[in-house]
Amino acid sequence: MSDRPEKPTAKRREFLKLVGLGSVAGAATLATGRPAAAEAPQAKTSGYRETEHIRKYYETARS
Amino acid sequence: MDGARAISGTISPSSEIPVPIPEEEQMRAEFYGMLARVLVAPPDDALLGALARLSGDDSELGAAVRDLAHRVGATNAEAVAREYHDLFIGLGRGELLPYASYYLTGFLHEKPLADLRGAFAKLGIERASAVKEPEDHIAALCDVMAGLITGAFGPPASIETQRTFFDAFIAPWVPRFFHDLEAAQSATLYTAVGRVGRLFMHIEQTAFAIA
Repeated sequence: MSDRPEKPTAKRREFLKLVGLGSVAGAATLATGRPAAAEAPQAKTSGYRETEHIRKYYETARS
Repeated sequence: MDGARAISGTISPSSEIPVPIPEEEQMRAEFYGMLARVLVAPPDDALLGALARLSGDDSELGAAVRDLAHRVGATNAEAVAREYHDLFIGLGRGELLPYASYYLTGFLHEKPLADLRGAFAKLGIERASAVKEPEDHIAALCDVMAGLITGAFGPPASIETQRTFFDAFIAPWVPRFFHDLEAAQSATLYTAVGRVGRLFMHIEQTAFAIA
């Protein structure tokens, strides 16, 4: 935690731009994918679901 | 519904109201969102298609993203589902256990999860009532960071609030997890995911130190 009253956001901004964060094109469509949109095709392409994943994981963790 | 998505799902409608946040902060949210989507479940064809279209510049992060897109082009949903299974589910267990509690204590459902639930309560984040899985999965934490940045849980969180959450729940183990993912034996596509995640985490840590 910082006690400094001033916010060097310009520096932060400059840094984030410099490291190529803004250079990545196409990430927006990925990040904004609504769960509902992602779910239908998921059901047909894979049998794995997070619930199964975690349930399995609990079983192994208990033993 | 899975655990990680359920967390954002309960509150995501408000995220559709456009909130003006700086472009580079928005990009951070997009990286977190992307990482959450590839880690919450095996990517389907639609997600793989979107990943294959990613491009980046000549920065280290940009190159890692291009490598990810390239690797996606050389695989398919079935192969990726097998890889995901080997990495995170496995026969006895997967190669990696992407939970904060496991990484920090060697067990599930330990103090890190309890602490995280306390933090969620403070931030006004809850699980969907039907979901019983722990919230300390890597994808859930990425979703929460994305939500804090974009304001999915109310107004966009200040950098200070984001940093407090990051320092408490991400920094202690997520960089190590992405490092492990990049080096995992079962990983091919996920090697690139691990590298993108590792580089992005390094950027996050540095940026929070500046701010």
